[in-house]
Amino acid sequence: MRFWNGDNEQMDRADLEQLQLERLQSTLNRAYKNVPFYREQFDSLGLHPSVIASVEDIARLPFTTRVDLGDNYPYGLFAVPLRDIVRISSSAGTTVKPVVVGYTKSDLKARYTLTARFLTAGGVVDTDVVQICLNPGLSNWGRALKEGAENIGASVMPMSHMSTWKQLMAMQDYRTSVLLTTPSYAMHILEAMKSMDMESHSLALKAILVVGEVLTEDSRRVLESAFHIDVTAGYGPSDVMGPGIAFECQEKKGLHVSEDHFVVEIVRPENGEPLPPGEIGEVVLTTLTARAFPLIRFRTGDLACAMEESCPCGRSLARMSQITGRTGEVLTIRGVKVHPVQIERILKGAREDTSPRFLLHLYKENYLDMVEIWLQMEDNIFSDEVKVVENTLRGLRQRIFQTLGLDVTIKLMEASTLDQYAVPTGGVIDDR
Amino acid sequence: MLKIKNLHAYYGRIKALDNVSLHVRAGEIVCLIGANGAGKTTILNTISGLIPRAQGDIFLKEININGLPPEKVVAAGISQVPEGRQIFGPLTVLENLELGAYLRFKKKEKEPIKKDLEWVFELFPRLQERMKQIAGTLSGGEQQMLAIGRALMARPKLLLLDEPSMGLAPLVVKDIMNTVSALRDSGVTILMVEQNARASLKISDRGYVLETGRIVLQGNSEDLLNDNDVKRAYLGKDYKTFWEGRDLA
Repeated sequence: MRFWNGDNEQMDRADLEQLQLERLQSTLNRAYKNVPFYREQFDSLGLHPSVIASVEDIARLPFTTRVDLGDNYPYGLFAVPLRDIVRISSSAGTTVKPVVVGYTKSDLKARYTLTARFLTAGGVVDTDVVQICLNPGLSNWGRALKEGAENIGASVMPMSHMSTWKQLMAMQDYRTSVLLTTPSYAMHILEAMKSMDMESHSLALKAILVVGEVLTEDSRRVLESAFHIDVTAGYGPSDVMGPGIAFECQEKKGLHVSEDHFVVEIVRPENGEPLPPGEIGEVVLTTLTARAFPLIRFRTGDLACAMEESCPCGRSLARMSQITGRTGEVLTIRGVKVHPVQIERILKGAREDTSPRFLLHLYKENYLDMVEIWLQMEDNIFSDEVKVVENTLRGLRQRIFQTLGLDVTIKLMEASTLDQYAVPTGGVIDDR
Repeated sequence: MLKIKNLHAYYGRIKALDNVSLHVRAGEIVCLIGANGAGKTTILNTISGLIPRAQGDIFLKEININGLPPEKVVAAGISQVPEGRQIFGPLTVLENLELGAYLRFKKKEKEPIKKDLEWVFELFPRLQERMKQIAGTLSGGEQQMLAIGRALMARPKLLLLDEPSMGLAPLVVKDIMNTVSALRDSGVTILMVEQNARASLKISDRGYVLETGRIVLQGNSEDLLNDNDVKRAYLGKDYKTFWEGRDLA
């Protein structure tokens, strides 16, 4: 099966544009009517949803940022009464407050349709055994992918906190045919197999579908030739939306955007001006079908470019490139969006108001993103008793894991050592 | 078949339609639902050319028909069955039907008209039985069938139905809805306005929900039937606005 929603994925462009316009107008009408934040945003610019006469007119509307999501914690951006919400999913967000996203029944239905499209495009069929390996920070996605795969009718092993060795054992013994994971974890698995002298033909894998991070062409080549399989990628911002907003087909030339559910714009990060195809800019997303949590011109912080040519796969859905980087300070670590300020806040909590000085050191170990926090040694954290220091650090590590879903190591450093890096506190040394 | 983009219409200085876009594909039944005064009938009247100076585009196939006078709209292939039937009471059933083909009489399409009359009688055997009867003496349901039959005599590509169930007993409503369904099966495309949201969603393919002249929701009829907003507002289910949590922050 090549398409999950053949009708919509191959829709005539003129029909698709009409559909987008209708859905955009009704989304704006609902958001304006039901969400005070959007109404104030529009009113302050003297705008009304009725000025939108084409999808391109969306450029007249204000942006929504992650800061707005934090400011409207928890339910401020919901466009339906809470009684219509059937799932509340929360992610750490990138400000003080977590990001809370609600789903109605129809939102969930739309979401598993989207993930099913992504999985179908990657070759998943009802006879597959699908194994999901994602870290806890991406558990919302783990659920979305599980539902999508179940929707297709595949046999799904949901994500669990097993060691790599156990995951591999399951993959071998359960005859897993499709692995859903991040690119770095796929590479990590490959390394682990080498160290265990495990041959790739002892597995029944036929495809790996990756989300959360950028799939480089190098990693794709390595994985495809090592396993003799296809590797395709899906895209979505992990904190607010599902993993199937855009997805690769077997052509592997860019990500098809599910344009019947989202409008994608590429804008210049500095001033928000629209950019033509081929030029790299920030991905801006507007939901067209979301009932509970409509987002209007949401700035994802991801960088990519729009692509113009049509795709030989037969989908009429427009394409964008893989994500080529991030704007600003928000980091993507193992697929999880992290702002250094979030880590600062936790470190601060342990040390009574004094702002700790620290750097984030990011590097790869066995293809996995690793985070080292280099914390400046100070009297109030230092104790003659090693045990006390160790306890403090363990507590910090735990709080970071609980808040962000990330495993980190913390190293205490002399101030002079940190001085060697000409980076202000909270800065990032990215060796990935 | 029909594609409407950014339609704005006014009654005097009052805005009746505010940026309405919708489409109907060939072979579909699409329904417009919403409260009284939401603008449902205005949409049909604007399409039919009954409301002057509406802004926006109304494409029938590829031709923009906005601004055409009503008779040209009929000639282009759109017939409207008005709210409250508005049949010609003193005339017979047959005369009413023949009037529906008025534009075609002028073009001397005698044979095809005769064929269409047979088709309408096939759809509504009751009308054939009462061919000679004065239309004003028919029952409500029969009058509605006559109104639909009369519109069909213009051989429309698209039929606009305004409140076909209005004032009819529940059993008759069921009859009329079955007829609308059968019409679609015989190849007529239908855009329908209904107060009876449940009945129209049950037989239609897709629906649009209107509020104060704006479209606030659209989707497959089945999804709309199960939608909480639609249930509360139009299907008479437990209407209460709950905004728990809104002020918690």
